[in-house]
Amino acid sequence: MKKSILLITLVLILSLPLSVTALAQVQARIRIIQASNTGTTVDESLRDVYRELGSLFNFTSYRLMKDLDLNLVGNKPQTVPLHGNRSLEVTLVGEYKKMAELRLRIFRGGTTVLNTQVRLAPGRTVIVGGPKHGDGVAIFAISAGF
Amino acid sequence: MKDSCSRPLKLLGKYLDGEATDQEKELVGNHLRECQACQAELNSMKELRTLIATPVEEAARQEDFPWVWQKIERQIRAQEKPSWLQSLRERLSLSPFLRRRVWVPALAVALLVVAAAPFLLKITSSPAAASVVVYVESQTNNVMVYESETGPETAVVIWLFEEPGDESSPT
Repeated sequence: MKKSILLITLVLILSLPLSVTALAQVQARIRIIQASNTGTTVDESLRDVYRELGSLFNFTSYRLMKDLDLNLVGNKPQTVPLHGNRSLEVTLVGEYKKMAELRLRIFRGGTTVLNTQVRLAPGRTVIVGGPKHGDGVAIFAISAGF
Repeated sequence: MKDSCSRPLKLLGKYLDGEATDQEKELVGNHLRECQACQAELNSMKELRTLIATPVEEAARQEDFPWVWQKIERQIRAQEKPSWLQSLRERLSLSPFLRRRVWVPALAVALLVVAAAPFLLKITSSPAAASVVVYVESQTNNVMVYESETGPETAVVIWLFEEPGDESSPT
């Protein structure tokens, strides 16, 4: 009986830190896309994004500009420089019901033009777009794996 | 007193109480008819008994026996009634399930399931919750949030509307 109690207590103690620190680290994939009406090129690697955006916008071209993998650690922002004195800041702020909670901020010069917080299930993608990028716009396809 | 008195004298108490056998009664009776000393002894014993019996009978008459008996019964019941812990123990010990001590591994399994629940849920739960926008704010531009709920996958799009004047010169 005493051995059983000790074993159970040990299992409980060992399981606690694992569940709490499960999302201390998240791998975020950020694809920076230029969408424009110049040409009709859709990069092969952007088929999934095009499937979602094709019916929503009238852009004829989707070109992959950057494909980044960020190793996000809790509350430590990572900044991605963008076209035209802009930047994207990504921060892992926590976990909510098996989803990674990310704060995304877009800066133009020193000004925050967009501040948002999203929850990402593993393998799902959130699209953030709109900033000017040459003759088109920049689109960020952000997904998280953990 | 004579030597022949010793045996009848020993039997006088039983004789007086009516507990003597027929043979003893005959022996004492025959002796008393001949021995005045033993008759006197018997009479003194009778007087003594009367003397003791009278106040006892009087006290017994005055005593309320039903009330006393009720009191005794209450005390007996109070002593017989087991505490809740004792009755619980008795019930547990009577249960054949618990007597086999099956509950020890059962409790261990239950606790293990509780401990493993976070892992089990993580493995089995489908990501039913798609991407969710907690909040969006912009003090400089208009923003659109689009969430399509068609199909198995939910598309979430956050769109920042930039005016032509917002275009900064490329660096």
